[in-house]
Amino acid sequence: MAQAAAARVKIDTLHDVAAVNAAFPDHTFTEKDFQLKANADDIQIDTNFASQSFWKDVRIRFFRKKSAVFGLIMIVVITLMAILGPSMNEYTYSGQELSQKNLAPRIPVIEDLGIFDGSETIATTTGTRTTNQYEEKGLDDVYYWFGSDNFGRDIWTRTWEGARVSLIIAVAAAVIDMVIGMSYGLISGYFGGKVDMLMQRFLEIANGIPRLVICTLLLLVLQPGILTIVFALMLTEWVGMSRIARAEMLKLKAQEFVLASRTLGAGSFFIIFREVLPNIIGPIITQVMFSIPTAIFTEAFLSFVGLGIPVPQCSLGSLINELYNSFTTHPYQIIPPIAVMVLLMLSFNLVADGLREALDPKMKSM
Amino acid sequence: MKNAKSVLAFAMAAAMAVTATGCGASGSSSAAGSTGTAEAASTEASTTASSSALNVMLETPVQSLDPQVATDGTSFEVIADFTDGLMQMDADGAAVPACAESYEVSEDGKTYTFHIRDDATWSNGDPVTANDFVFGWQRAVDPATASEYSYMLSDIGQVVNAADIIAGTKDVSELGVTAVDDKTLQVQLNVPVSYFLSLMYFPTFYPVNQEFYESCADTFGTSPETVLSNGAFTLTSYEPAATAFTLEKNESYYDADKVQLSGLNYQVIQDSQQALMSYQTGALDITLVNGEQVDQVKDDPSFDSRGAGYLWYISPNMGSVPELANENLRLAMTFALDRESICSDVLKDGSTATFTAVPPQFATGPDGSDFSADQTKYSDVCAYDPDKALSYYEAAKQELGVDTFEFDMVVDSDDAPQKVAQVVKEQLETTLPGMTINLVIEPKKQRVEDMQNGNFELGLTRWGPDYADPMTYLSMWTTGNSNNYGLWSNADYDAIIESCSTGDLCTDPEGRWSAMYDAEKIVLDEAVIFPLYTQCNAEMINPNVTGIEFHPVALNRVYKNAVKAG
Amino acid sequence: MKKYILKRILTSLFTLLAILLVLFILMKLMPGSPFNDEKLTDDMRAALYAKYGLDQPVIVQFFKYVGGMLRGDLGVSYNISKNTPISQLIQTRLPISIQIGGMAVLLGAVVGLVLGIIAALKRDTIWDTLATIISVIGVSVPSYVFALGLSYAFGFRLQWFPMLFTVNDITGSSVLPSISLSMFTMASIARFTRSEMLEVLDSDYMLLAESKGISGPALIFRHALRNALIPIITVLAPLIVDLMTGSLVVEKIFAIPGVGSLLVNAIQSNDYNVVISLSFIYSAMYIGIMLVVDILYGVIDPRIRLSKEGN
Repeated sequence: MAQAAAARVKIDTLHDVAAVNAAFPDHTFTEKDFQLKANADDIQIDTNFASQSFWKDVRIRFFRKKSAVFGLIMIVVITLMAILGPSMNEYTYSGQELSQKNLAPRIPVIEDLGIFDGSETIATTTGTRTTNQYEEKGLDDVYYWFGSDNFGRDIWTRTWEGARVSLIIAVAAAVIDMVIGMSYGLISGYFGGKVDMLMQRFLEIANGIPRLVICTLLLLVLQPGILTIVFALMLTEWVGMSRIARAEMLKLKAQEFVLASRTLGAGSFFIIFREVLPNIIGPIITQVMFSIPTAIFTEAFLSFVGLGIPVPQCSLGSLINELYNSFTTHPYQIIPPIAVMVLLMLSFNLVADGLREALDPKMKSM
Repeated sequence: MKNAKSVLAFAMAAAMAVTATGCGASGSSSAAGSTGTAEAASTEASTTASSSALNVMLETPVQSLDPQVATDGTSFEVIADFTDGLMQMDADGAAVPACAESYEVSEDGKTYTFHIRDDATWSNGDPVTANDFVFGWQRAVDPATASEYSYMLSDIGQVVNAADIIAGTKDVSELGVTAVDDKTLQVQLNVPVSYFLSLMYFPTFYPVNQEFYESCADTFGTSPETVLSNGAFTLTSYEPAATAFTLEKNESYYDADKVQLSGLNYQVIQDSQQALMSYQTGALDITLVNGEQVDQVKDDPSFDSRGAGYLWYISPNMGSVPELANENLRLAMTFALDRESICSDVLKDGSTATFTAVPPQFATGPDGSDFSADQTKYSDVCAYDPDKALSYYEAAKQELGVDTFEFDMVVDSDDAPQKVAQVVKEQLETTLPGMTINLVIEPKKQRVEDMQNGNFELGLTRWGPDYADPMTYLSMWTTGNSNNYGLWSNADYDAIIESCSTGDLCTDPEGRWSAMYDAEKIVLDEAVIFPLYTQCNAEMINPNVTGIEFHPVALNRVYKNAVKAG
Repeated sequence: MKKYILKRILTSLFTLLAILLVLFILMKLMPGSPFNDEKLTDDMRAALYAKYGLDQPVIVQFFKYVGGMLRGDLGVSYNISKNTPISQLIQTRLPISIQIGGMAVLLGAVVGLVLGIIAALKRDTIWDTLATIISVIGVSVPSYVFALGLSYAFGFRLQWFPMLFTVNDITGSSVLPSISLSMFTMASIARFTRSEMLEVLDSDYMLLAESKGISGPALIFRHALRNALIPIITVLAPLIVDLMTGSLVVEKIFAIPGVGSLLVNAIQSNDYNVVISLSFIYSAMYIGIMLVVDILYGVIDPRIRLSKEGN
């Protein structure tokens, strides 16, 4: 914060070192701090004010932030794994081998280090017991990198298969949030008065009914599958975003720059989407990030009413649901989908933070 | 089912052996009652009046404490804790006198006269009278009560006029049950019902104190103040759908000397991992274990599984799916199912593979043997045999002129059925190339409705016995029966069932028995259903606790004789 | 302002009535029936429908229900707790859900605010990253996994808290469920606080405040946080309703006799009266909180009040 504030203090109070020192008691500034650096070569390339497109700016600012780049790389890696992962070994996501069920993770080469060698410790009611099912069953050439589940299915394959479904749901949720939720909230907040009243009452009716009730009704008209899930999300997920967008709009619409734009004859549409929207991109992106895990778990919850992804297909959410049952018996089983889920969300958040800063027009002056 | 604890001495034997004494069945199962009676008997001698209460885990909350309204096993178990019927189950499942001291059956088998004990009292001090039973039974058939189990009196119990009263064409007072005097109850039946005495421990037939009931108005059975006890325990804390409630020993119970427990503490836990952890900390004495946790408990001597009575099977819709109307295709499918593997590799809770239409271990015949003890008797039409499956499959393809089949299978959204369905899908698809099974997961109510409306292709469903007779299963597949989901119809079969339930064979136990085998054979020959397994509950029981009686029919757990040591 | 509030309350009442009607129509459309046991015949089902008046037209049922509701009678449960008056079910269960949910909201909001403020003030440092990681884990691990993990560690191994809910120790046995429930709230509040605080810290009036010599906690709480509060309240409000009306999974795991599992069971069993009553309570709480939030907007930010009155 100190740097950010100081950056702007510099312009106004350049000449008064004492005043600056008073404003920042934890630092002592000297005259030298306010002198121009001998960097005439650098400042000739003035990226801030060079005439270049908005998006190029955004790109440059985004890639300057290391954590955002890391997040982006992780998303690409997870996406690639979701596409390629399931075909990296001989198992299929639905193929059951009941004689090889509940095997602990075992990875070639690494097993020689004493980890991931297929042994596991089970906390039984009569004390803990360490076993290596691979050895007991004589499965010398069998490797389940993430272990196998209750049906003898490969958790590696299922995790990446599930990641694929969950990524699709994540993208769908983000689009729904952006398109339906945000527009609804912005329009409702901008016009205010009767329009707002009506739109908010409709929202209250739609949101006042528990979503499980609404989803149960979808069973009547739809077959389970990805499309149904997206449709169900569409009916329920936009509300949170619209409320954020409306609140932000209420906060901003009375501000001077909106008034200025209106005075200059800008239409409502222009003001909403070109003037206000860029200023509230931060909370909007944060909300999108939160709607993603909610959507992923809503999908798993939908299987309660038979609308989730149909078994034996899986998503990260349904995998966590399913493997939860072995949590105290074979804890290694639930770790891979949760780990992928956490990594995915962390990456999304880092990218979102990067995007937020890159897109924020106020950052331009920095 | 390791110990075969639940081999039942069937009350029918009691009815056969109807003599002056009431309790004829207890001798027929001496070998089978491994834990139940023996241990209970041994502790009766010990004079230490155990003061500790038993902590019991329930999977679902109680739905109702009104004996004529309740329909689920949990409610039945709790109602039976504090209510005694005319008869109660002994450790082997035979009907033994409870509120009734003795009874007589008329020559023609159509009139039962029960004599009620003088020392049977309600917890408010009123004596239990014949009128309490009359009132209870009348409530059960009263259209105003709309009891879901009213058919226990009409179709199954064959009590005179029950069917007409339910249909609304006769008044409840015309029900064929009368209080001759305060302590004598007389029941009139339409036809002799061989298993009638075993119905008497079913909660629908329990007494209700009319005066008390009317004083509670609409709140009957919703709190300790609005229930009366005439059984081994009394309710001390309870609220509707409670997750925890308690009972304590009923000191005014006529058999109170035999009750060793000081009370029962019920705890509803819907998460089996939490339940097991609670058990391990000692907070529970008896708990259910999920198949996934068996690895944690299989070496523990207190781990055991007991029959829950339910037969799980797949019902093909022969009425509206032309491919499934083909007998060869159905046979191919039933041969492609590896039931042993489903039980031992997936369910792991002790459930037993079943190859008969009537599951084993609940119905005992006139000679004292289990109706379905021999699981191989239909092995030529129901077994796991991929080669046979393929040859029937080829024949079916020829007859139907198609190479690929795709069926939807409706499945409950509960844990176990989903697991089983995934294996069934895999087995059918691997053994029968070209067949695709799509699983349609639905909430149970929805699944049942779809199946009742014929809106399904394959359905994974279950059936629990209502009374200890094979007919509780076999009557399902008669033409027009609402549980004949597959809309199968066979005149010969209908004739056999008719004759066994209301016809000539009613009075000929051996003949009836063998006729029921004939009927079962028709069901399996034509693959009307694909039986899968008989459900068992895997349980952990505190080694200090003995004498809990387990039954697959009506009352799953009975605690009257249970003992919890030090 | 008074006129505005009065108008808002009136419209809210109409909204509630509309929701009730929609609920009734939805119930009629819902697949399945409350009376759908394998053992039930068509005749029996008809008898049960007649007994509970479900054979009447929806609109008649609606007015009967509204009439009953005005007298405090919400009807009876059809199958999950047969013939029990729903008002009785709610009376015993709602307070428990509200208490545990309230604890979760409080915990989530406080911890979330602190995490968010730290992350914003120490932007792009290790503290920021740590706060981000904590909140990411909070949203991406489902509450039932937390619940079981906590129960295993603190209930089973360490035995600090009871593993199951018990009326003998309501506070103690509410600790683990509240923590598991609060994770999502904590995470979302933390993220929103961070993003709002950054926004505010970069704004001109913060610069003004700073240049006026305001610093330290006064700057953060009086000036920065106050301005960040509107969106935070917007996020928090529906979470409050969600938490206070109970959570299915956490209630199941800790055996809590709350209303969350009741609603889900009722939906799955088509227990219409229970679904309608609980949904209605949910709606009423939701709309009530929205009302409060709208009024709060005015209190926190006078500009909104002005613009509202202008309309």
